[in-house]
Amino acid sequence: MSVKIKNNDDLIELRKSILSNKVQDKPCIVVATGTCGIAQGADKVIISLKKKLKEHGLEEKIEIKTTGCHGFCQIEPYLTIFPEDVFYTNVKPEDSEDIISKTIIGKEIIERLLYLDTKTNSTIMKENDIPFYKKQTRNMLENNILINPSNIDDYIGIGGYSALGKVFSGMPPEDVIEEIKNSELRGRGGAGFPTGFKWDFCRRAKGDMKYIVCNADEGDPGAYMNRNLLEGNPHSVLEGMLIGAYAMGASEGIIYIRHEYPLAVKTIKIAMDQMREYGLLGKNILGSGFDFDISIVPGAGAFVCGEETALIASIEGKKGEPRQRPPFPAQKGIFGKPTNINNVETWANIPLIINNGAEWFSEIGVEGANGTKIFSLVGKINNTGLVEVPLGTTLKEMVYDIGGGIPKGKKFKAIQTGGPSGGCIPGNLLSTPIDYNKLAEAGSIMGSGGLVVMDEDTCMVDVAKYFLGFLQEESCGKCMTCREGIERLLEIVTDITEGKGEMSDIDLLEELGNVVKDASMCGLGQTAPNSVLSTLRYFMDEYEQHIKYKRCPGVVCKEIISSPCQHVCPIDTEAPLYISLIAAGRYEEAFNIIMKDNPLSSVCARVCSHPCETKCQAGKFGDPISIRGLKRFVTDYAQKNDLKYLPKKQESKKEKIVIIGSGPAGLTASYYLGMNGYNVTILESQPVVGGALSICIPEYRLPKDILNHDIDNIREMGVEIKNNITVGKDISFEELRNNYDAIFIATGAHKSLKLGIPNEDADGVLHSMDLLKDASLGKDINIGPRIGIIGGGNAAVDVARVASRLAGCEEATLIYRRTRSEMPAFEEEVEACLDESVNMQFLTAPKSILAENGKMTGLECIRMELGERDASGRRRPVPIENSEFILELDNLIIAIGEQPDISFLDKIEGIKVTRGNAIGVDKEKYTTGIDGVFAGGDVVTGPNTVIEAMGSGKVVAGLIDKYLKGEPVEREYEITRPSMYLEPPELTEEEVAEAKRPIMECMSVNSRSCSFEEVELGLSEEMAIKESRRCLRCDLETEEGKKQFEPAKEGA
Amino acid sequence: MTTFRIDGLDVEAEEGWTILETAKFYGIDIPTLCHDDGLSPYGACRLCIVEVGEGKNAKLTSSCTTPAQDGIRVRTHSRRVMSARKIIIELMVARASGSKALQDLAVEYGVQQVRFKLKHDDCILCGLCVRMCKEQMMAGAIDFVGRGKDRRITTAFDEKSDDCRFCGGCMYICPICELRCQGPEPPGAICGSCLDMEPTCLDHYDDAQCFMAEDSCGTCVREPMKGNLIEDKKEE
Repeated sequence: MSVKIKNNDDLIELRKSILSNKVQDKPCIVVATGTCGIAQGADKVIISLKKKLKEHGLEEKIEIKTTGCHGFCQIEPYLTIFPEDVFYTNVKPEDSEDIISKTIIGKEIIERLLYLDTKTNSTIMKENDIPFYKKQTRNMLENNILINPSNIDDYIGIGGYSALGKVFSGMPPEDVIEEIKNSELRGRGGAGFPTGFKWDFCRRAKGDMKYIVCNADEGDPGAYMNRNLLEGNPHSVLEGMLIGAYAMGASEGIIYIRHEYPLAVKTIKIAMDQMREYGLLGKNILGSGFDFDISIVPGAGAFVCGEETALIASIEGKKGEPRQRPPFPAQKGIFGKPTNINNVETWANIPLIINNGAEWFSEIGVEGANGTKIFSLVGKINNTGLVEVPLGTTLKEMVYDIGGGIPKGKKFKAIQTGGPSGGCIPGNLLSTPIDYNKLAEAGSIMGSGGLVVMDEDTCMVDVAKYFLGFLQEESCGKCMTCREGIERLLEIVTDITEGKGEMSDIDLLEELGNVVKDASMCGLGQTAPNSVLSTLRYFMDEYEQHIKYKRCPGVVCKEIISSPCQHVCPIDTEAPLYISLIAAGRYEEAFNIIMKDNPLSSVCARVCSHPCETKCQAGKFGDPISIRGLKRFVTDYAQKNDLKYLPKKQESKKEKIVIIGSGPAGLTASYYLGMNGYNVTILESQPVVGGALSICIPEYRLPKDILNHDIDNIREMGVEIKNNITVGKDISFEELRNNYDAIFIATGAHKSLKLGIPNEDADGVLHSMDLLKDASLGKDINIGPRIGIIGGGNAAVDVARVASRLAGCEEATLIYRRTRSEMPAFEEEVEACLDESVNMQFLTAPKSILAENGKMTGLECIRMELGERDASGRRRPVPIENSEFILELDNLIIAIGEQPDISFLDKIEGIKVTRGNAIGVDKEKYTTGIDGVFAGGDVVTGPNTVIEAMGSGKVVAGLIDKYLKGEPVEREYEITRPSMYLEPPELTEEEVAEAKRPIMECMSVNSRSCSFEEVELGLSEEMAIKESRRCLRCDLETEEGKKQFEPAKEGA
Repeated sequence: MTTFRIDGLDVEAEEGWTILETAKFYGIDIPTLCHDDGLSPYGACRLCIVEVGEGKNAKLTSSCTTPAQDGIRVRTHSRRVMSARKIIIELMVARASGSKALQDLAVEYGVQQVRFKLKHDDCILCGLCVRMCKEQMMAGAIDFVGRGKDRRITTAFDEKSDDCRFCGGCMYICPICELRCQGPEPPGAICGSCLDMEPTCLDHYDDAQCFMAEDSCGTCVREPMKGNLIEDKKEE
C-alpha cells in the first residue's frame, strides 16, 4: 500500500525515489498492447515471449513492459528492445524464440523483423528513424512508449503531475485560466472554441457546484485518437482535468466514455484507483485544500451524444438528445449546474501548457491554430496510424510524407477530414494547411481528427451516400431538418447512385443541404450535409456522370455498373457473360457474345490495354481474372474451328460514307455502318490496312495474319478499303464532302514529337513512328550496334523491343527521366522488355546530341531526382546540377510521344484544332464544326489505347446512322447490364483454395529475341475453364441479378 | 425587462420570455407547429426559426426555445428564414401529405410543389402528443423511441399502456390527424382549396397547377400567393 502524497514536496520526493529505484539499462522488451495491438495479436506475442524467457531462465533479468499504441498501427504487433533500442515490427508468437535467443542473448539483430522502408528498400532499426514518425511532433504521443498505463509510478517518474504541483504551489485559478487563454489552445473535439474562454465562462457562472466533463464519446468512423490517449497515457488526461477543475472551481468530474472502449475504461479505472491511493483524487488533494473526484459514465454508443447538450442529457439519465443553445452548458449544464465539457485531447494538452508555458505552446503550429493535434490517418494510404503534427501541416505532407502515398500506385482522389460531418478535399487543394479556418474555407472541418484518404477507386457520390447513411442512423431525430433532411438527401443521392437521378436533383441537393446546415438544432445537423455539399463542390462531374451518362467513374455504384469489367469497357463487351459461358464450356456462344460488340476481337485479345482487368474485383484481394487471356482463348478456338459470327445485315441503303484512316476507330465504325446497310469506303494512306494496329504494334505482339483475319471479317460487311490514298494529296477533302453523305475522320496520331535539344536533326537520330513503320513494312533498317531510346511510354518500350530484334543492334538502352514505377507503359510490356535484356537508364534526361560532321556520336545526359509532387501525386523530375555524362550511341530513337497530323485539314473551315494538334469535337457526339463530318479516335484524343479508339468508332457509327436517318444526333445512355444471366458454377473448396491467375505460356527469351514471331502463346482449354470459374460474377450482385437464381433455389 | 428588436421594431420582453412569446405579444406572426402555449418549448419542427444577429454571425434559431436577450436583432421573415421555412414545410408535406394543417401552411408560404417522394405517413414527430400526455395529462404513457429514421412515438415496449386513460389529449393536439385531406392531385402539388374555402379549387388554380387542360385554359385568375404577400410586406 503506497503512502498518500501530502504536498508538492512529497510528490517531488516520490519522483526521486521512483527514479533511483529504477535499474539503469535493465534489459526490457516493450510491447504495445493498445486495442489495435491486441487485435493484431500482441497479447499472444507477450505470452509466448514470457514462456520463452522462462525456458531460457531469464524471467528475472528481463522485464516485459506493456504500453499503449505508439501510433503506427499498420505494423503491429511491434516491440522495442531496450537498452539497444531495436524496433521489431509485425512480430508473431513464433518469432519469440529468435527474439530471445538471437537479439536478447546473442545481441544480434534479426533483419526480417525490422521495419522495411519500401521507398529505399532498406531496413530501419530504430523506431524514430521510420519516415512515418520523422515529420511528426509527438508532444502527447511520445510518452506512450515510456509508460505502462496501469502504473502511476511510470507517469510520475517521467514528470507526471508536476503541472498539478506547479498549479497548487502558487498559481491562483485566474492565473491558470490566463495561461490557457494565452496559449490560445482551441478545443480538439471539433468546433475549435478557445478553451481558455470556455473555462472563464464556467468559472464566472454562478452555482453552488460545478461539473467538468471529459468527452470521450469518440464516434467518427475510422477515428481513434481519444481511445489511444486514454489507453496509452490516461494520467495526462486526468491531470488536465484536475487542473481544469481547480481553475474553474468544479468539485465533480465526469468522464463520458463509450462502452465500446472496454480497455480504455479499464485503464482509466485503474489509473483513478491509483490516484486515490496517492491522494491525487478526493479530499484535500496535495494538501491544497481542494476537493475533487471523478466518476465514469459509460455512453451507450450514440454518435449524437458527442454533442454537448445531448451528452449532458445522457449523463442526467435521459434520452441522448440535444437541445437548442442558449443557455450554454457553462450557464446551465448537468442538472442545471454550470458545466464545462472538453475533449480528451484538449485535457491532455493542459499539463503540457502549464509545464512548458503558454509561449512554448503558441510557438507550435500556426496563427490561429496553436499546438499539435493527433489525427488518425486511415483509408487508402500506405501507412495507417495515429499521427501527431503541429497544426498548419499541409494535407500533402500528411498523405505523401507521413502516410507514404497511396497503395498499389493508384491515384489520389480526395481526403475526408473531420469524420462524417466533414467534407472531402480534392487533390488540387492538397497544399491546404490543416487548421480550423483553412479547412472551413475548403468546405470541411477539422473535427476531432479523422483523416480518410480515398483513391481513384472511390466514387464520391457513394462516399456522400455512405456518410449520409451513417448520419441518418445516428441523428437523434428530434429536429425536423436534421432527421427528415438527411433522409431526403440520402434518398436523392441513392437515386443518383442507382442511375435514377435527374439533373434537377443537384439543385435540390444543394438547396436542401444548405437549409439543413442552417436550420438544424445542433452541431450534428449543422454539419451533416457537408459530405454532399463538398462533393458537389469539388466532384460535380462525378454527379453528372452518374446522372447524365449513367457512369460511375470510381466503378463503385453497383446498380449502375453491374460488373466493373463490363462497365469500364469502352465498347461495352459483356465480359462477365462470355466468361461464364466459357466456364460452362459453351465456347461458340462465348465467341458470339464477344463478336457482337467487338469486330476486332482477335486483335483485342492480344493488344487490348484491358481496363476490365484493372477494375476486376478479384484483383482487389488477389489477382484479377485474366479476361484478355480468356478472350484470346475463345478467339483462338473460333479460328481453329472456323467459327463465324454472322450478324444480320440490314437492307442496303443508298447513302455513302467515307472513313479516313483504317485504324481501330475507322475499322470499328465501318463494320457497324456496313452492318446497317450503308456504302462504306475507307481511305488509307499506307500500303497496309490497320493503321496503328499494323504499323505501330510490332508483329511479335500482333501477328499480321491475325490482324488480317479480323479485317477480312469487316470487309465481309461490304466495307471497301482503298490503300495508298492520302487525303489532301490524292484526293481533296472538299471532293469527299461533295461525293459522300457523311465523313468520319480517324487518322490517328502518328507524328512523333521532338525533344527540342541541339543537333536533333543529326544523322542517326530517328523517330519512333518511322522506325516502327519501316519495321512493320519489312523495310531494311540500318542501325548501329549501340542504340538509345528516349521515353517511358508504350511506344518507347515497343521501339526498344523492336530495335533489339533488328540485325545491327547489339545494345539497346532506354532512357527515362523518372523511375520505373512512374513509367506509363504497360507493366507486362516493361517486364518483357527487361527480359529481352534492354538496358534501362532511369532518372536520366537527354541534354544535347553530340554530332560530328552531321552524324551523331553520342548523347549528353543529365541525372534527375524526383522533386515536389504535382496535383496528381506524381513527383516531378528535377535535374541534379553537374551530373552530366555522355552515352556513346550510334543511333537515338525519340519516343516521347506522338501528335495527330491534320495538315490535310489546314484550310478547311469549321475544323477546330485543340491542344496537341488534335481535332476539336463535341465531347459526346464527336461532331466537328462541319455538318456531317465526324472525328474520333487518336486524332481527337491524342495518343490513346486501341480500345478507346474502337469505342469512339462504335459510337460514331451509331451517330452517323442517326444523322443520315434525319434523327437528332444524340446519344442515349443506359445503366450497364448483361444481356442474359448464367447460373454461377459451384466451386469445391479445393478449387477455391487452388484458384489463381494462370501464367500464359510465352516463347522463351532466347528464341524470341531475334524473331518477330508472337511471344504470347495463349491459354490452354483447361487453364481457361479454371480461370473462368474463378470469376466472382459481380453481375449477380445487382437487384436484378440477385433475383435471377433465387426462385430456382427455393423450388429445389 | 429585456429590450431588443424584432423586424425593426423595438420590443420589451418580460423576464423569462422567449423570442416567440415576445413576438406574439407584439402581434408579429411567427408560424409554429410543435409549439403550444400550454406545453414546454421543444424546438423540433424548426418552423418558428428566426434569424438572430447581424451580418456574418447571424444564425437561424428556433424562436420558441431561444430566450429574449438584450440588444439582439431578430428577423422573422428574412429571405434566409423564408427559404428555409419553405423547405421545412415541403419536407413536412412530403412526409404527411394528408394533413390539412400542413397543406394550409404550404399554401400560406407559397410552397407550390413538393419535390420529394410522398410518404403518406401520419406523423411528423413534432412531439406535441408526448408533451401533452406528460405535462398536461400527467400520464407519460407515450414517448419517442428509436433514433434517426427509426424514431417513432409509442407506448413503453409497444405494449398497451396502463398509464393511458384514453383521454384523447394526444389526438386532440395532433396537427396531422385533426382533419384529413384526401391528398393533392397530381402527386406533389398543393391545392390549398380548404384554406380559400370558396370559390372552388378550379377557379383558384393558377396555371402552374391547373390539371384541367394541358395549356392553361385562361379562365382562372392567377392569384398572388399569400407567402409572397408576407415577403412583399416586409420588403416595404
